[in-house]
Parts: sequence; structure tokens; C-alpha cells
Amino acid sequence: MNECILVVDDDPEIVRAIAITLEREGYQVRRACDGLQALDQCLDPAVQLLLIDVMMPRLDGLSALLRIRERRNLPVIVLSAKSEDTDKILGLSMGADDYITKPYNPQELLARVRSQLRRYTLLGDIHAGEKAGLLVNGRLSYDTASRILRTDGEEVRLTPTETKILDLLFRHPGQVFPAEEIYRRVWNEDAFSCENTVMVHIRRMREKIELNPKEPDYIKVVWGIGYKLEQHE
Amino acid sequence: MDTNWNSTSESIIKVLEEHGLTAEEAGKPALPQTRKKRRAKPFFAFLAFFLGVSLLLSSLGGMVDRLLWQRDQGFDFRRDWQDTQAFRNEASRYLRGFLTIGAGGVPTYPSVWLEEFDDLTLREAEVIQEAVTGTGFQIPQEATTTDSTGEHYVFLQPAENPVPQEPDAAYQADQNVLYLIRCGKNGNWKTYCNGDQGLAAFRNQTLGEAYNFYLSFRDGKVSAVWNGQELDVYGSGVYDGDSLWFVPGYDNFPAGEQLKDVEVYLAVRQTPLRYYALNYADGSQLYTGGMYSVFHQTQESREFYRRQACLLGAGVLCLLLSLALNRSFYLAKRKIACWTQRVWTEARFLLGAVLTGWVLLSGTGDLYYLLRDAYWSGSWCFADLGRAVSRLFTSNLPGLLALVWFFWLLRNDHKYNGKDARRSFLGPFFRELRAKDLKRPVEKRLSQNHAAVLLVLGVLLLAEAGNWILFLCRMFPGKGIALTGVMLFIQLPLGVLAIPLALLFFRLWKSRGLAGDLGRLADQVEAVRGGDLRKPLRLPEDADLRKTADSLNDIQAGMKTALEEQTRSERMKVELVSNVSHDLKTPLTSILSYAELLRQEPDLSPAAADYARIIDEKAQRLNTIVQDVFEISKAAADQLPVHLERLDLAKLLRQTLADLDGPIQASALHFRTELPQEAVLVTADGRRLYRVFQNLIDNALRYALEGSRVYLSLTISEKQATASLRNTSREELPTGVDFTARFVRGDASRTGGGSGLGLSIAKSFTEACGGSFQVETMADLFTVSVRFPLAE
Repeated sequence: MNECILVVDDDPEIVRAIAITLEREGYQVRRACDGLQALDQCLDPAVQLLLIDVMMPRLDGLSALLRIRERRNLPVIVLSAKSEDTDKILGLSMGADDYITKPYNPQELLARVRSQLRRYTLLGDIHAGEKAGLLVNGRLSYDTASRILRTDGEEVRLTPTETKILDLLFRHPGQVFPAEEIYRRVWNEDAFSCENTVMVHIRRMREKIELNPKEPDYIKVVWGIGYKLEQHE
Repeated sequence: MDTNWNSTSESIIKVLEEHGLTAEEAGKPALPQTRKKRRAKPFFAFLAFFLGVSLLLSSLGGMVDRLLWQRDQGFDFRRDWQDTQAFRNEASRYLRGFLTIGAGGVPTYPSVWLEEFDDLTLREAEVIQEAVTGTGFQIPQEATTTDSTGEHYVFLQPAENPVPQEPDAAYQADQNVLYLIRCGKNGNWKTYCNGDQGLAAFRNQTLGEAYNFYLSFRDGKVSAVWNGQELDVYGSGVYDGDSLWFVPGYDNFPAGEQLKDVEVYLAVRQTPLRYYALNYADGSQLYTGGMYSVFHQTQESREFYRRQACLLGAGVLCLLLSLALNRSFYLAKRKIACWTQRVWTEARFLLGAVLTGWVLLSGTGDLYYLLRDAYWSGSWCFADLGRAVSRLFTSNLPGLLALVWFFWLLRNDHKYNGKDARRSFLGPFFRELRAKDLKRPVEKRLSQNHAAVLLVLGVLLLAEAGNWILFLCRMFPGKGIALTGVMLFIQLPLGVLAIPLALLFFRLWKSRGLAGDLGRLADQVEAVRGGDLRKPLRLPEDADLRKTADSLNDIQAGMKTALEEQTRSERMKVELVSNVSHDLKTPLTSILSYAELLRQEPDLSPAAADYARIIDEKAQRLNTIVQDVFEISKAAADQLPVHLERLDLAKLLRQTLADLDGPIQASALHFRTELPQEAVLVTADGRRLYRVFQNLIDNALRYALEGSRVYLSLTISEKQATASLRNTSREELPTGVDFTARFVRGDASRTGGGSGLGLSIAKSFTEACGGSFQVETMADLFTVSVRFPLAE
């Protein structure tokens, strides 16, 4: 344990609050208040995760991120007050591994940090386990043979129905399934007012899989059409 | 490096020059030259085509004409001159003449006009004069003339006292024919001949190499030997139209009794000479002998066909060349079409009519004679008719060629120029008159004025023209004198009127631009009203409405600036809100973080823990408000990004209800839904629409009376889907309040959760997706309707 996390924000109070939250969970925290400091500190190989704000004096977070990426490959979570889709897409495309909007939920922050660190440290394991029938999608990996789902390498306990839904979605990532079709395929019955039933299962699955079930990253509703599993790298 | 290269290229050029090439030809690409070549190539391609067709047509036409006209004479281009019908006729004529002499008469010698030989030279004319001298004939001083074409004519007058002649005097000087006539009874022979050859020489045909044709008449029969071969003179023995020799001895044309003792021998020179002699018999004409005439015509005909064949060959070559240059020829045709396009349609018609008339009229001579003869004789010869009809075309070759090229140009024009591109002289006038097609009433009225004046002027001009025609008619005596008087009488006041009318017309004609400008101005006003602020109206510098148009342009520019200003300020507003919301979020983050940390403190007094909870709760709400304000300001500035797609509205409502199942179950409300099973397809942004219904249901959960029922229904009327949510309000609904306005809430105290922006956001989002949003209140019944047009 005792992974070292670098927290970068121009507001020292926010840095302090995050540090307290992280240290309570047993992480080691280093602090920086602008992009240049972040660059300096990132060179230390002890730093294993970077939590960085976007709008900062001297060097903004995204530019710093670009430069850090030239030197080191470590998980980076961007923490920004900008909450629009375009901002998120920009951040992720600049090399961030995750994006948290301010004001953040401390529990979600912790979950995401944990997830990134697990993936970073167990990355070798996940890819070493790349074998026939293993489907990997972001932090999820699904073994089609044994029908076991892992999030960040950790096995998730799913009910048989949830497993069937997940199996369907995992085999067709990105494809949108109307509730009726999910019902027909999973329950093997004709669908009739099944929206609630399907939604209940999906909500439960989200609680087990997603870091923030209210804003899911993987199992998504396509409003007016159906449900899909979003494909991540 | 550079100098190195230069010296290398120089040395190359030097080598090339030594081999007889200039640098320009060999090395440097002569661009302008190739361009010139490219321009010249189509010209040559067309020239080749033109020459090819012209030569082909003229040579073929000439030959056809010749064949049609001279076929009877047998001036076929491959035959020996002695193998022609003309020769046989001539020989027969000689024989008949000699028989006349033998029978004791004086023949009327067929004369050949000197004019037939267009190559008569002045020297030959002198020879003729010499020949005439001392024969009793006179050549008047002015008889030998040279006309404009270089031909010489000799006119002779008979002498007042002709010297008495022998009956065969006319044949004496003939140098192409040797003859011997023996006549008389019982050994009392009388002999006429032009030479000292004896009878035996004729009989044995030993007159020498120069003579190869012998004709003899003995015992009432004719025999002919040509190149040592006996010819079949009488054929079937009955004389008819197809018989070759017109001589006595046929069954139906026997030699007369008086020819019983007449013997005639005739030898014809293989190559006739050209000579001149007087026709003593009728004493009026010079001739060179019929034989030479036949020979000459055969030669000339052969020459003619050879020439025509050469022209034909050249024509075919030219055509092949133009085929080889097909691509360039195509360009040439396009170019020519460009030129011919400018020719007025009227001019084309006129030219076509004139050409056709010229060709047909110049060819009708034969047809006329044929018809006249047919009329008199009452019989037709279809071959002649066909010949006469073909002569219609072949007799005037230049005209035919002109006609062919005229039609070719016409076809070319039609092929490459569209119908609209055609130009007409009278077209613009007619178009001006056709006010129906014009869009604007102003233009229409002005054009109608033009039309009226044009009509009057046209009548005037016609009257003037009529006058002139009559004036010309007056040139011919006895016609239209009285009428001219009348017309002159009319013309006087008309002429006086015509001048001001013409002036008026030209004023109006010039001002017809005004009508167009007015129309354009009206269009522009309409466009500006419709919101098109990009294109200013450009009228010509000297237009009457220029100033008005400029003013309109200024207004347009002002509107454009104002609109841009407005857009910019909207954008600035959004930016401001965006910045403010960011600036608000940063402290909020701290507040929320520390409130959370505070709540986690273990040794906090219950009161302090409660305070911390309240801080946390209110900070959360503040966060919601900030987020909502940001979104609504974007939507108000039309900058809300939407991803429109076809989706099922009924499904979306079901999904939304399922998504909010938790809070709905937790509330004391009963939801009654009425959603169609089939898909209700609309075009909208699913996520935004989810927010709309989420807010609406949220609103109902927040403000509906406990235990009451909430009705959610989706109905389809034609082309429109209406989702409506009805609930009974917990509080009394104030009247005259726009619930969709920002920060308006059912409770004036604003103590409950929510930002007060829920309905406002719902409305903005609905409208951003292309739907309509309506709130109605009736007593305590609160109804929200969201309408979307059905997708196709």
C-alpha cells in the first residue's frame, strides 16, 4: 500500500481537503499548486497517480498533462470545474484517464483513485490474462467461458439474470438494445411492460460496477431507444 | 552547383545546334508555340473537313451532271473517240452527204461553230483570215473581236457574187477524212475525191498508218472496218431508235433507186487534225471539220473526268484527315457553333430561303423545257424527268455547296447550342410586349406602356413602307398613280406624328431599365424583411434608383451590425455566466469538501453535526442552481449543443418513469400512465428530453398534493405527438403567473428544494429540440404539455 498521489490545484484548501480524504484511506499525498510544480514533482518515480486541476496559473492542467505524458506513463485524473461534455472529451483526449467535475463527491473521488491505481498496478496482470473468451472494456474484464466479471481485477458478484444481461451487452459493446429485446433474450419470454423490470436490474448492476451509479460510465441509457454498454479503451 | 548546371546545359545546346537543331526546338519548351499550334489545329481540322466535303460534292455533282447530259453522245471517259455514238453519227452524216453528191445533189454540210473551241487563239484567227482571203468572202474590220472571256469570234458575210463550186467543194479541204465517190452508169464513171489515192487503196484499205477507219457503200449496203476489224453496221437489220448507224441499207430504210450505181469510200484519220476551211457550200461559216470536233469533245470529256477523279480523291483524303483530327475537329465545331449562335434566327431563315431559291431556280430550266415538251407532245419519259429533277441540284454546284454548308452550320448550331442560347432580332421586342411573364406589377405596367407605343410605331412604319412600295410602283407607268396620291395625302400627317412618337418610344425604351430596377428594389426589400442581410443591392452608377438602393443598403448594413452586436453580446453573456459559474464552483468545492469532513468528525456535538448537515445540504442546492443557471443561459442564447436523432417518445417516457421509479415509489403519489404500445417516433436529443421529463416528474413529486394522482399521457394527433402531465397542486396556484419564467416557484416562500429553474429548463430544452412547451392551470389542476412533430 502507501501509494503516492500527487494532488495539484491552485486552491490550497481544496488540495488540503483532498489530501485529508486520501490520507485517511492510507495514501501518501504530495501537493503542488500549479502546472510547473506538478511537472517537477511528477519526475519522481515514487508518484503513482496524478490528480490535477485544469485552470491554474503559470501552466494549466491540460498543458502540464501533455508534457507529463511525454515523460511518464502514470494514471492521471483531471479534476475540473468545467462540467460540459466537450470539456470532458477534451480532457480525456489529451491523455487523462479519468475526469471528475467539481464539486466532487469524496466517495466517488476515492473510488476513481482506487480504480485507477488498481489498474495501474495490476495492469500487467490484466493483459497477461488476455486469453480466448476474455473481453476487456476499460476497467471491466469479462470471461465469457466462466461468466465472471472483474472490475479492476476484482471479481464482482452478479445474480444469474444480471450475468445474462451483462453477457448480452458485453458481447455487443456499443450496440443499443431496446428493453423488450433484453427481456426476450434474458428471460426468454415475450416482453410486455418490461421497462421497469429491466431498469431495476440495470440499476443494481450499475451499483455493483459503476464508480458513480448516478452518472454511469459503462451501462448507459440511450433515451428513447434502449440500453448499451459503452466501449472504453 | 548553379554555374555547373548552366555550363552543362549550354554544352548540350551547342551539341544540338551542331546537329541542325536550335535550342528552342530541342531543349527549351516553347510554350506559346504549342499554344498557337493547339489553336491552329482545330482550324486545320475544319479546313480539311470543309475542303473534303466541298471537293467530294462538287466533283461528284459535276460528274453526275456530265453523265446525265452527255450520256447520249457516249463521251464516256474511257472510250476511244471512234467508239462513240458521236463519231458514228458524224461518219453517217459524211456518208449521207457523199451519197447526196453521188445521187447528183448538193449536200447541206453540218456546220460547226468556231465558238465551240474556247481555246481559239489570236494566231488561229489570223490563219482563218488568211484562208478567207481571195475566196470571195469578206471579213469586216470589226469582225475579229475579243470579248471579256478572251474568246475570239469571227463573223463572215457571204460574198455578193459567189464563185460557182463543185458539189463536193465543202469536203475538198477536209484533212481528217479521205473519200472517193464513184457514180455513173455503164462504165461512164464520175469520180469525186480529195486526194490522189486510187480506188484500190480504199478497197484494200492501204491508205497508210494515219487512217484506221474505213467506211464503204456498195450495192446499197454499208460496211465499216475499224482497226482492221469488220463492224456490224446494221445489227438486227431494222432501223430503230437504238440503231448505231444512221445510214441507208436497213430493211425498213433501203438505199434508194438512184444510189444503185453509187459507190462511196471513206477513210477517217486516227488522230484528227485541227484545221480551218471555209464552208463554200452555204458560204457563211468556218469549220474545222466534224471529226475534229468529236475528237476534241472526247478528249475534253476524258480530261474532265480525270480532273474530277483527282478532286474526288483529294476530297476523300481531306475527309480522312479530318477524321484523324477528330478531337480538334470537335473543338472547331464547338467554336463555329459559338460564332453561329450570334446569328439571328430571322437572318437564318432569310439566308436559307435565298439559297434554296437560288439553287432551285437556276436548275428549273431543264424541268421547264421538259414539262413544256411533255405538254406539247403529251407523253412522258420518266428517265428524262428524273434527269431533269437531278439537274435541279447538279446544274448549280456553287449554290448546292452553299446550301449544304448552310444546313451543316444549322445542324451544328442546333447540336451544340441550347434552345435558350438562340438569338433573335424580334425576340426582345416580343418579350418586352409579353408583360405576363414579369413578376412585379411596376414592371408589368411600364412594359404595357412600351407595348402600346410600339404598336403605334409599328403601324406607322408599315404605312411608311407601303408608301415607299407605291412610290416604286409608280416607276412603272399606269400603276398606282391614284393610290400614290392618296398615300401621300395620308403620309403627311403620319410623318409629322411619327417623329415625336419615335422620340417618346426611345425615351421609354431607355427607361425600361427603370422597370427592372424597381422590380429588383422590391425584391431586395422583401429579402431584407425575410432576414437576408448578406447581399447588398448593386444598381448601375447612373440608375435613377441608385440613391434609394444605397439607402436600403445602409439600412441593411445597420441591421446586420445590430444583429452581430446582439449575437456577440449574447455570446459574452454566456461566457460571463460560464466564468461566474466556474468561479462559484471553486469555493463551493471547498465548502462541500469541508462540510463532508466536518460531518465525519467523530466528536462533534449533535447540534454541530446538524449544522454541518445543513451547510452540506444548502451547498448542494447552491451547486444545483449554479449548474442550472449555466445551462439555461446557454439555452437562452441558442448555444445549447443538441444531438438530434430519431427516437421513440413513448419508450423515452417509460424509461424515464423506470429511472425515477425509486422516488416515485417513495412518494405518496399515484402515477397513472397512458402510453401507446407502438413506437412514437420524433426527432430530438434523448438526453435533453430525459431532463425535460425528469424535471416535470420532479416538479410533480415536489408540488403535487399528497395521495393525489398524477396523469402522464402520450397522444398522437395528426403529425404531432403530445405528452402531457397533469397533477393537482398542493398549494393554491396563483393566477397570471408564467411558471416557465426563471426562478418562479409554486411556493412564494422558496423554502423547498430545487432551483426554481426546473420548468424553465424543461421549456428551453424542449424548444432547443424543436418541440413546444405549454403550461396550463385550471383551479388546482396543473397541466404541462410537450409537443413534438412526428418524424417522417
